[in-house]
Amino acid sequence: MIWNISWKNVWRNRSRSMVVICAVTLGTISGVFVAGLMKGWVDQRIHNAIHTEVSHIKIRNPEYLNNEELKHTVPNYNKLETYLNSSEDVKAWTKRSKIVAMASTSRGNTALTIKGINPEEEMAISDVYTKIVENGGDYFESNFKNPIVISEKTADQLRLINYIISQELLDSLSQLGADEKLINSLAQVKDQRFITEKKFKAELESILKPYQIKEFGANIMKLAKNYKIRSKVRFTFTDMDGEMVQKSFRVCGIYKTTNTMFDQMNAFIIHDDIASLAGFQHSDYHEISIILKDENVKLFRDKLKSNFSEANIMSWKELAPDAGMMADFMSMYYYMIMGVIFFALAFGIINTMLMAVLERIKELGMLMAVGMNKKRVFNMIMLETIFLTIVGSVSGMVLGGALIGIFGKVGMNFASVQEGFEAFGWSAKVYPNIEISFFFGVTLMVIIVAILSSIIPARKALKLNPIEALRTE
Amino acid sequence: MKVININSLTKIYNESEVKVKAVNNISLSFEQGEFAAIVGPSGSGKTTLLNMIGGLDKPTEGEILVDGTNIKELSSSKLIDFRLRNIGFVFQAYNLIPVLTAKENVEFIMELQGKSRMERDERSIALLTAVGLGERVNARPAKLSGGQQQRVAVARALASKPKFVLADEPTANLDSKSTETLLDIMEELNKKENITFIFSTHDQRVVNKARRVITVEDGRIVSDEKKVN
Repeated sequence: MIWNISWKNVWRNRSRSMVVICAVTLGTISGVFVAGLMKGWVDQRIHNAIHTEVSHIKIRNPEYLNNEELKHTVPNYNKLETYLNSSEDVKAWTKRSKIVAMASTSRGNTALTIKGINPEEEMAISDVYTKIVENGGDYFESNFKNPIVISEKTADQLRLINYIISQELLDSLSQLGADEKLINSLAQVKDQRFITEKKFKAELESILKPYQIKEFGANIMKLAKNYKIRSKVRFTFTDMDGEMVQKSFRVCGIYKTTNTMFDQMNAFIIHDDIASLAGFQHSDYHEISIILKDENVKLFRDKLKSNFSEANIMSWKELAPDAGMMADFMSMYYYMIMGVIFFALAFGIINTMLMAVLERIKELGMLMAVGMNKKRVFNMIMLETIFLTIVGSVSGMVLGGALIGIFGKVGMNFASVQEGFEAFGWSAKVYPNIEISFFFGVTLMVIIVAILSSIIPARKALKLNPIEALRTE
Repeated sequence: MKVININSLTKIYNESEVKVKAVNNISLSFEQGEFAAIVGPSGSGKTTLLNMIGGLDKPTEGEILVDGTNIKELSSSKLIDFRLRNIGFVFQAYNLIPVLTAKENVEFIMELQGKSRMERDERSIALLTAVGLGERVNARPAKLSGGQQQRVAVARALASKPKFVLADEPTANLDSKSTETLLDIMEELNKKENITFIFSTHDQRVVNKARRVITVEDGRIVSDEKKVN
């Protein structure tokens, strides 16, 4: 009956209760959605950290960390190879040689690390092969000698991207709804080659109106972009003996991940193409990357450490500490977001419940007079508060969950701040997601907040003297 | 058999450092099955006396024994439980729970007593039928007239099978017809179930119906008359 009375009391003043319920609903929606968005971001960052950048575990020579000389190869490689091949914990592993080199073309140069890989093995470890940009070649599928896969960022630095207004571009723009005026303006520079993005942009600004750039600028930039696949890039580096050597590679593919730093630093070649020039022997590799079958990385890392104490063995949390920190603290952070929201909402709930108690003083006096004890009065007020809060929060969780479901499928694109995000390794397109356990946690928080919010109104009710309360008009 | 025994009861209020003796050394007793009215002008102390009998107010001096239990000695939580099991209340302003139906209002007291659902169902319907509201069991107070609400309040007061019912000005807000109906119902229940009714009132219609009339003035009993039927 107490439950029945409490539930009915919630709806005694419908408009007032609805205001609080709506506030709790909106607060919960925003909290759940922000938590979902953050989780989506963090999950993507962790996924990228593991599957694009660092894998689960990396094994290197401890000396290599201080001095990236080629001679500091992975110690005990043959033993490690046997161990990893026979381990049931390992899903896939690969070895890489790493050379810090100066890359140059006739128009530009940059310093980067070239990773000598076995493409087949690499594809089981890193998803860089899925990040080849549109019209950006392929991932070691072309049949020419000394292929190299570089990032779009590196291609830009080496001036391997140019911009051309082609007939296809004009046709595509027409299909996208561009008017004749725009097409005619662009036709003025048809087939002209612009060697930098800056020069092309400057040209567009001179021939187009601002509203045309605003409407079609992004599409023009994308369609005009032309990667110079098969271009030659010359690398200069120090071999195993400390001698300066040079070798040319031809660009077979251009990739782009969501981490600008990674892109800026890494280019991929086939290990065998450079082994003899660099002076590598059969077992000379600079790192081993491992993907495990399950997520218990720490356990396997410790196992490896005890077997191969001479090697430096690090897990992804140590290799990508930003992602590691997020993985450890993010779940706490979601609850902190919800905590702050509920803390603010608690004041509204307390206010509403205080009003509900103050306008029912006479009734509460009667209840205590006829024999309702303090515990029951307290429970009644507390249940009313819990009902009020739960109705709002459950609605908020359902709606917030639905929003996450929708955006989890279509994604949320923060294209306007893409550059800034990618500088820190964050993807600009986010797919929010949330775990079911989060909803249980939030429900528990709601109940705790409701109980705490009910204390002040319930105490007010308990302090009532039945006779004085009954005399209240 | 004596249900209530009041000995040398005094209640002094300290308002603005001026002591007011609302009840002054009253000794009184009530037998099982009495239908008694405490009458007197406003401020005479009749409601204070009723509140002390009901355990809602503590006496300054004296004692109230209900079936041998001195209610002055009970702790506040025990007193609440004592009221639940021994006393039925009817208030001037009905004081029903507006969100509950007539039946639920009656059942509520039995629920507090821990009675089974079946017993609650049977007794609440029987009591509402007894007060002439058998057809309105599912009506909420707002849908009932003042007289009907007060009859629900009487049914609620009797639901706990109390030793006695205290009714503070129960007819003050009712018209003549409703008052007559209500008094007839209470008198019938009193005679049929031998329940003790004690009214605080200055309504002459209640005084006429009561079989014992205790007149209070300035906190003292000035007369205590029993009518012979």
